[in-house]
Amino acid sequence: MTSEVDDTLKRIQSHKGVVGIIVINSDGVPIKSTLDNTTTVQYAALMTQLCDKSRSAIRDLDPTNDLTFLRLRSKKHEIMIAPDKDFILIVIQAPTE
Amino acid sequence: MSDRKAELEKKKAKLQAIREEKERRRKEREQREAEEAASRKPNPDKDQRKVDEMLSSLGIAPVSDVLSSLSSVQSVSTPDAGSSAATPDASLQPSSHVSSKKKTPQLTSVSVQSTSIPPKETVVYTKQTQTTHASTERDGSDSSSPLKGYYEDWFRPRKAQAFGYYDEYNLNPGLEWEDEFTVLTYDEQAEDEESSLPPLVDGFQSKLPPGILPHGLPKVKDMEPAITSVEQEQQQKKEVKQIRELSDDEKMMIVLSEDFLRCMDRTGRVMERVLAESMDVYTDYTGISNSTDKNDDKVGGKVSISRWFSDERWSRSRCVTSMDWSPQYPELLLASYYSAADSADPDGVCLVWNTKFKKTTPEYVFHCQSPVLSATFARFHPNLILGGTYSGQVVLWDNRVQKRTPIQRTPLSATAHTHPVFCMEVVGTPNAHNLISVSTDGRLCSWSLDMLSQPQEILELQHRQSKAIAVSSMDFPYNDVNNFVLGSEEGAVYSACRHGTKAGVTDTYDGHNGFITGINTHKVQGPVDYSHLFLTSSFDWTIKLWNMKENKAVYSFEDNSDYVCDVGWSPVHPSVFASVDATGRLDLWELNTDTEVPVATATVDQPAALNRLAWSASGSHIAAGDHNGKIHLYDIPEHLYVPRADEWNKLLVTLQELKNNQADDELDKMNLNSGPSSLTSFTSR
Repeated sequence: MTSEVDDTLKRIQSHKGVVGIIVINSDGVPIKSTLDNTTTVQYAALMTQLCDKSRSAIRDLDPTNDLTFLRLRSKKHEIMIAPDKDFILIVIQAPTE
Repeated sequence: MSDRKAELEKKKAKLQAIREEKERRRKEREQREAEEAASRKPNPDKDQRKVDEMLSSLGIAPVSDVLSSLSSVQSVSTPDAGSSAATPDASLQPSSHVSSKKKTPQLTSVSVQSTSIPPKETVVYTKQTQTTHASTERDGSDSSSPLKGYYEDWFRPRKAQAFGYYDEYNLNPGLEWEDEFTVLTYDEQAEDEESSLPPLVDGFQSKLPPGILPHGLPKVKDMEPAITSVEQEQQQKKEVKQIRELSDDEKMMIVLSEDFLRCMDRTGRVMERVLAESMDVYTDYTGISNSTDKNDDKVGGKVSISRWFSDERWSRSRCVTSMDWSPQYPELLLASYYSAADSADPDGVCLVWNTKFKKTTPEYVFHCQSPVLSATFARFHPNLILGGTYSGQVVLWDNRVQKRTPIQRTPLSATAHTHPVFCMEVVGTPNAHNLISVSTDGRLCSWSLDMLSQPQEILELQHRQSKAIAVSSMDFPYNDVNNFVLGSEEGAVYSACRHGTKAGVTDTYDGHNGFITGINTHKVQGPVDYSHLFLTSSFDWTIKLWNMKENKAVYSFEDNSDYVCDVGWSPVHPSVFASVDATGRLDLWELNTDTEVPVATATVDQPAALNRLAWSASGSHIAAGDHNGKIHLYDIPEHLYVPRADEWNKLLVTLQELKNNQADDELDKMNLNSGPSSLTSFTSR
């Protein structure tokens, strides 16, 4: 069954421009990562906060609403965050052409 | 009376006498005591005199002088003794003298009232630790921490933000650390000030005499230090640091947990779709764009390849055995694959592809032990997928469960199929529908999807002297649950019905000389009903058009030069159908335009035999699966899926023409038959 997770990660990683994938739990603890430790911890900590903040913003606007996906586009990267109940999947993508 | 008076007088006189007596006695006693004291007094004087005499004889001042001088000193000093002795001599005073004076023990019971004064709180500011910590970070001495670089990063800009009002810092980012430090210590200074002043509460209480409680006055407390965002983040950071220690085992536990798998399945799917989307939202139209030539292709009315689906692991070198578009989700395409010779994976594979998102991996992967020959979405059950296998089992997958293996399967017994199931279809209405499956031994089973343990009915499809029909393909006409058409391995085509007194094969259509690979009934609804028309493709290199009411083929399309593997009517255009053949050619026919040659043709890039085709519900796409496990998705030119209103009537004319041609052919053939005979006779002559 683990291979299924690895397969998914491999598939995502094989996409053009994908720099790294991080899976963290709701506490911000990295569980799986394709990046080095320092970067992973840094991303995990910051993205958890961002995700929490975004979610609370969405919920404040409409209590029946919830955050499902977060896409950050920056000059250098695109960070895509798929928050789930217990885990958060983060993919960092470099710009394509 | 007088007696009485006299008596009173007497008594008075008596009392008087007693009083006088008492007085007298008292005086006598006093006199006696005075005499005694006088008689005792001379004794010390006498001794003193003797001593004085002795002393004077020795030339020393008499004792009485000394004593008198001493007593004069005492009389002067005694009043000062109480006022804690301004003169240093006071210390020389015999202490017994003072203490004896004060110690007059008077014991009274006193109710003691205790007041508790809390110890002064030492307020510790985290700022202090933070600055020291950060400074060590700055020094690089704490290089072992994995957060080091991170701290530096986040700390600096935030700090600037948090203390934004300190213009000094903002205006002069190049300040040395010491400068920053002084800027930052405003909290500590405040603390110092506080500690130099007595704390308000304590001071107030301490000024009250013991035993008196402060009443009704508002309590003034120290203001808590404002928690800045920097501090909060600091705290969070600490928490993270604390729980960061997840061992590999713990991580493994999480990774293996059901929750994690489900989450990864879901988020991974989403992420892939997002990643596959190559839409560039920053397209700049002010520049020169040269991507308009694509539209020209479509104008030309050609079939163009849109994309292809293939999975390295699951579909490579597996022949596509069947395809089906989802009725609920028009973008989903189901494909079943045959076994691969050199694969360790299960023999039977079903993949669900998504044509909406540009991701290149299958949406779902299902497999089972036996090669899947036919697969279909269970109409009316959006989550269920049915597969007919080589072993004869009908298997059922459900995309709601985290399982790739079938959740249900039919038994492998004489009550069900024991031969390969090449055709399957769900027929009926949402409330009453059945799965119809036919195996190559001619057995037709109808199943209820709720109970796959036993078929609801079994029908043996036999022909002439109870010879079983080796059914290779089957199709139900539009809206019909009873009648259907069958293609067989030996090349005959049959029509049959499920119910009634003559359940079983009703008619035979002879014409093909080889294995019938595909059969398809006309399903387009319009002003004219053509549901009696059907097409067959065969290994004899031909496609034939049939009318159910006639035993002879209406027309034979003979443009192919290899096995024709599948044929299918367009779901929207009445006169359009498509066919695929073993040379890798996809042909689009438009009967109203041309019956001799296809109107459009596409050939796969790499040499591959196309085995199956499937029209999308809108008729704008065709999926063609080849023997290498690759599915090619083609865009259909617009005029072939947007029928004009007169196409139905035109088709009527076309069919009539075909019939006339056929009649002419017959005539020609007869003439030809007579011709050769005359010819032979001519030559023989």
